Amino acid sequence: MKETILSIQSPLGPPTELVQFTWEGVQPKNTISIVSGIQGNHQNGIYLCSRLVRFLNSVESGKEPGYYLKGVIKIIPTTNLSAIQEGKGLWSFHDLDMNLAFPGNDQGEVPEQIAATVYRQTKDSQFGIILQSGNTHYNDAPHLLCLNPDGLAKNFARSLAIKNAREPKISSTFRLCLYGQWVDQMITSVILSAGKPNHLDISLCETILPGLINSLLWSEVLGNDQKKPIKYQLKFNRQSNEQFVISNAGGFFMPIVKLGSEVTKGQKIGEIVDIHSNTTLESILSSSSGYLVTLRNHPMVYQRELLAILLGKPKFPFWPIK
Amino acid sequence: MQSQTISSYQTPSGQRVEILKQSFPSLRKRPVKKVAFVSGLHGNELEGVYICHLLTKHLSELQRTQPEAFQGEIHIYPTVNPQATAIGTRLWPFLSIDYNRQFGGPDGNSLASKCAQELLNDLKSSADIVIDFHASNLHLKETPQIRITEGFHKKLIPLGVHCNTDLIWVHPSLPMFKSTLGYNMNQSKIPTLVIETGIALRINQNFSNRILLGMLNLLYQVGVIVTNNPPAPVKRPIIVQPSQVIQVHSKHAGLFVGHTDIKKKIAAGEVIGEVVDAQNGQTLQEVTAAESGFLFTIREHPLVYPGALLGRIAKIT
Ligand SMILES: [Zn+2]
Repeated sequence: MKETILSIQSPLGPPTELVQFTWEGVQPKNTISIVSGIQGNHQNGIYLCSRLVRFLNSVESGKEPGYYLKGVIKIIPTTNLSAIQEGKGLWSFHDLDMNLAFPGNDQGEVPEQIAATVYRQTKDSQFGIILQSGNTHYNDAPHLLCLNPDGLAKNFARSLAIKNAREPKISSTFRLCLYGQWVDQMITSVILSAGKPNHLDISLCETILPGLINSLLWSEVLGNDQKKPIKYQLKFNRQSNEQFVISNAGGFFMPIVKLGSEVTKGQKIGEIVDIHSNTTLESILSSSSGYLVTLRNHPMVYQRELLAILLGKPKFPFWPIK
Repeated sequence: MQSQTISSYQTPSGQRVEILKQSFPSLRKRPVKKVAFVSGLHGNELEGVYICHLLTKHLSELQRTQPEAFQGEIHIYPTVNPQATAIGTRLWPFLSIDYNRQFGGPDGNSLASKCAQELLNDLKSSADIVIDFHASNLHLKETPQIRITEGFHKKLIPLGVHCNTDLIWVHPSLPMFKSTLGYNMNQSKIPTLVIETGIALRINQNFSNRILLGMLNLLYQVGVIVTNNPPAPVKRPIIVQPSQVIQVHSKHAGLFVGHTDIKKKIAAGEVIGEVVDAQNGQTLQEVTAAESGFLFTIREHPLVYPGALLGRIAKIT
C-alpha cells in the first residue's frame, strides 16, 4: 500500500510529500523499516527501494513463487524529497542536513516535520535498514555500519550478504541522525552504504537486492515455502583497525587502485598532480594492508583531505588482555 | 597587533588558505585575563566579522595611544571559515558541512573537522573568556542577544550583562548544541558567550556599534583594558528564561509580509504581519502577538512553509 504520510503545502508549486509503502502479513510479529533518500543525492538507496517495492507488490499479488508476506514491511524511499528534486544532498532553503534533524519536531520547519514523521513511523520496528551512498565526494564499496551489534544484530547483518561491517563514529551529532535514534530505541538496525552520491549504479544495486530480500526472510517479515534465509560471512571491523589515507598536497587525485580490492602495505594508491602543470606533487602509498572500503571520488582535492579508508587486519588475533 | 596562522591548508590549485588570529598582547608578564573573539563560523554571517573589524580598529588605536591600557591579552579570530565567508555561504564550501556542528566529537576525517579541532585547541590555550559572534540565518533578524544553554547560566550571566545586548536568553540544552564551539568551550570550563545579532548577509551598523561598546565594556569590567576614561555605561539586558519565550509560527504556505520591525514593547493582539497566498490574492493568516512583550526575533525571508518561524516574543514579567 502506498500512502502519503506527510504533506506540507508549498508557497508555490506542489506540496512536499513524504511517501510510505507498507505490506502486512496475516499475523504479523515483526516489523522492518527501510529508509532512503535522507540525503537528496543518494540515488542508489532510492533505486533499491523502488526495486523492493516492485518485488513486494509482486509477492503481494502472488506472482513470486513460494514467497508470502509474514510481518510488516515499511519503506520510506524519498525522505528528503525537496533536496531530491533540487538535485542536492541538502535542501538549500534551510541548508540543514537531515541527519542533524532527528528526532524532529512536528511543529518545526519542514525538515524537522519530515524527521519527526519518519521517526514516528519507524520507531516501533524491530528491524531497520538505512540505505545510503558514500559521503559527499566519496565512493563506498558496499558495507554496513552498525554500532555494538549483539548476537541478533550480527545475524541480521549477516543476512544482508555484504562482506564488511564497520563501527560508526560516535560524533557529537550522532544522536541527531535517524540511525542514532534507532540505536536509542534498541532497534536492531544497520546502515547500508554503497556507491557515491549523484550517481545511480544499477548493476551495483542489483547485486545488493538479493541480500536485502534475504534479510526480509531472516527477519521473518517475508516467508518462502521453499527457501530458508542464508547466513552469509561478514567481517566486523573495529574502528581501531581502520587506516585513513590523507593528502599532503592539493591538486588532482588520480587513484590507481580499485574500490573494494585488497591493498598491500607500500602499494601505490595513486598520485596527486598539479592542476596546472600535471607534475606529480605526491605519490600516495599505503602504510598498511587492508580492504579499500572508501575511495575519494571528486578528482580535485584539498591538502589534508581524506583520500581512502582501508579496513586493516586486527593487530591482535584475540582481544588484548589488560 | 600580532598576526598568527592557527590552521592552514592548500586548495586544489595550490593556493594557501589561512585561518588567522590577531593578538593584542598584555603589558604584564602575567596577563590579568585572556579574552578571545571569534566570528565567521557560518560564512554568511557578516555582522561578527564587522564587529571584529571595529574592535581591531579601536584596539589598534588604543595600543598606539595608551599601550599601558592592555593589562590582559586579546585575541581576535575574525574569519574562522574564510572560504565560506569569501562567498557568503553558511556551510563550509565544497563539503556542505556546518562548521559549527564539528566540535566535541572524536577526530573526524574531513578538513572542516580537523580545522575545528585546531580552533578549539587554540582557543583553549589562548583564552579565559570567549565571545562567539553569530548573525541569524537568512530567514530571521535578531535583536542583539546572548544565548546561554541552561546549566552554564550561573557562570555566563554575570559576564553577559556587560555586553550591551538587549537580552540574554537562557534556553534548554538540546542535543544539537553539543557539537557547537560554544557548548564545548563552556564544557571545558572556559566561559563562552554566544552573541546573535542581525541577519545573515547584512550588516546592521546600529547593532554592531552597540556590541562594540559592549565588548569594550566587557574588556574593561574583567580588567583586560584599564584606561583613565572608562567606556560609557551600557544597558542592562533583560534575562529571559525558556518559559518566557513564545514562538510565532506560520500556519500556511505563502509569503510573509512583516508589519513591524523588532519591537521592545509589543501588545497582545498587535499585528506582526500577514501570510498571503502567493497566487490568488488572499490573506491566509493575520499574524498577531499572542502575548505582550519584547518581539526580539522577526522573520525577514518572505517565503514560508507551514511551521516556519515568524517571530519570537519574550514575555516580560
Ligand atoms: Zn551562526
